Amino acid sequence: MATIELEHIRKEYGTDIAIEDLNLDIEDGEFITLVGPSGCGKSTTIETIAGLTKPTSGTVSIGERDVTKLPPKDRGIAMVFQNIALFPHKDVYDNISFGLQLRKFDEAEIDKRVEKAADTVQLNGMLDRMPSEMSGGQRQRVAIARAIVRQPDAFLMDEPLANLDAELRVHMRTQLQRIHDELDTTIVYVTHDQAQAMTMSDRIAVIDDGDLQQFAPPLECYNEPANLFVAGFIGSPAMNFIEGHLTAQGFESDAGYLDVEFDPSTVDAAVGQDVVLGARPEHVLPSDTATGDVTAQIDTYTDVTEPMGKEIFVYLVTDQGATVDMEDPGASGQLLMSVGPAADVGEDEPLSVVFDKSNLHLFDADSEVALAHGLSEPATVDGSEDTPASADD
Amino acid sequence: MSQSTQPETDSTDTDTGGLFTNWVDSAIANPKKVYRAMFATVAIFFLFTTLFPLYWLTMIAFSDGSRVSEGVGLLPTGFDPSSFIEIFQQVPFHLYMFNSLVFATLTTIFVLLIASLAGYAFGRLQFRGKRPMMLAVLVISFFPPAAFFIPLFQLFNQQISFLGITPPELYSTPGGVVIPLSAVFLPLAIFILTTFYGQIPDGLEDAARIEGTTRLGALFRVIVPLSAPGVATAGILTFIAVYNEFFFSFLMTGAAAQDWAPIVDGIISYRSQFQVRYDLMAAASIVAVLPVATLVVIAQEKIVSGLTSGALKE
Repeated sequence: MATIELEHIRKEYGTDIAIEDLNLDIEDGEFITLVGPSGCGKSTTIETIAGLTKPTSGTVSIGERDVTKLPPKDRGIAMVFQNIALFPHKDVYDNISFGLQLRKFDEAEIDKRVEKAADTVQLNGMLDRMPSEMSGGQRQRVAIARAIVRQPDAFLMDEPLANLDAELRVHMRTQLQRIHDELDTTIVYVTHDQAQAMTMSDRIAVIDDGDLQQFAPPLECYNEPANLFVAGFIGSPAMNFIEGHLTAQGFESDAGYLDVEFDPSTVDAAVGQDVVLGARPEHVLPSDTATGDVTAQIDTYTDVTEPMGKEIFVYLVTDQGATVDMEDPGASGQLLMSVGPAADVGEDEPLSVVFDKSNLHLFDADSEVALAHGLSEPATVDGSEDTPASADD
Repeated sequence: MSQSTQPETDSTDTDTGGLFTNWVDSAIANPKKVYRAMFATVAIFFLFTTLFPLYWLTMIAFSDGSRVSEGVGLLPTGFDPSSFIEIFQQVPFHLYMFNSLVFATLTTIFVLLIASLAGYAFGRLQFRGKRPMMLAVLVISFFPPAAFFIPLFQLFNQQISFLGITPPELYSTPGGVVIPLSAVFLPLAIFILTTFYGQIPDGLEDAARIEGTTRLGALFRVIVPLSAPGVATAGILTFIAVYNEFFFSFLMTGAAAQDWAPIVDGIISYRSQFQVRYDLMAAASIVAVLPVATLVVIAQEKIVSGLTSGALKE
């Protein structure tokens, strides 16, 4: 068990900058997830913590010990890899005990620990199998057993579930959480799958382009995204963005179809400044069923509907027959709405919708930093009622 | 050599014209027959060219020594297996063999060790000047080894000094053979191992390093075992080449077994001023083949087991 601290980590590959200037403070026993799109530097970050990659500058500390110059074996960490990376020429027992044998533990102790680790991941009776004789899930469990058997200070997991099929992935996700509860060890987890990030972690570090965007608990990232990138990245389907500017009355969209009234003095921006309004699909409501503090009606037409079972995604356009720019659907007036399965919504019908004002987000268009979360009067920061599951009722 | 198979097929052609026509007809209907026939022809040809010399050698070795010099045909002249004992009585042939085996073993160990390190660097690391360095290795391997001989001979005889240091006398020691031959056979081994080591997934090496090995530890505990077929190939090629090597091992050593003379010296010593004992030479050659043949059989099993255990499957 240990804290992990990254200070001013910078990593360059030739002229490419993989990590710009990363600072992370991970507390003892925390489950941290690094998320971001491919190539954002999250794998480089975890490799830097592991010692497989040397940072160009900056320091890495594990358990308040500067390990920047130490080789991986002396850092007190264990790692689970995306490609599982079991040694194919060794059986399960030898795979699990590899690290212990290298550290010259005595036979009885190795036996005891391997037994216990195999027990934790439910691999009893398979210790003499070869990795090639096992299924993907079993192999991944061997990899996890290999990591926990050494009782390391911290676990690093680089997309460990990415190569498993969907059903197994969900199963292993719960198992990993159980293992974390049991061992109470610091875990740094890398994934591009936000379902894993949301469900498992104590805190999420959202990384884009080698920069830390937000480092907060999952629901905080969801309800109070620090900037446009986090708002767009966390949450599926993604948030609607509407470009506009601040007026004395509130927000006015550039396309002209939307005004949101609020007191502009409550946000840290000048009247006339370009801003971006963000609304999650579940906070776009059909006006006839909407209650509470909502915006004025917007007349739209339904375009495409996607029934998902527990909800229906409805694509709305502000002008009937308008062509939607695939690259930037928000600019051409496309909105995505998520409604309950009982809603009676057809395609190509007029529909007036409203936004739930308490769950709107306002971002500075230039700096992309969040200006406000919730535009009710007075502007409050309230995230208690909008969990991702409770869409609209 | 191929002539001896040719007349046979010819004779069947002409003698049984009807049969042949039938065969052609059925071959047109079933083209696989033609492939089988071609395979048989080629296989017989290769078997003949490789096995006939061995038969020839065995035949002479078992012939009556006194009658061999009269001339030999396809069948042995008399039967006299005593030459297999006589080869050890006339000269200490086992010592010559020992010398050659020492050269081959030491060179193989050196080559595999150094080529493993080089193969790791070339196959798994990214560094500036990698391509020029690999090219340099390739270019050096094109040099005729004979070009190195005179300077090395002078150096090993302490006639010249190198960087102001006179090396210990290496002439007539294993060093005088093993050092130049290691250099000569290194490039091939480096290329083989570079290819094999380069194919091992990075994740395995990372996993080994996280688990507690150094880079070198990961090389010898994970990468080398997983590249067993490649290591075996490089090792066998080197071993056989050195064991069979004539030029350096003959010239860098004396003529007597205690001067580290190789097998060739032993075989040559059956030629005295008055007679040439071809039967002893043949017997000695057969005995000399045995260690290599055994090694290949053992190593082949290793190669096959390495390939079939799915070692490289992720």
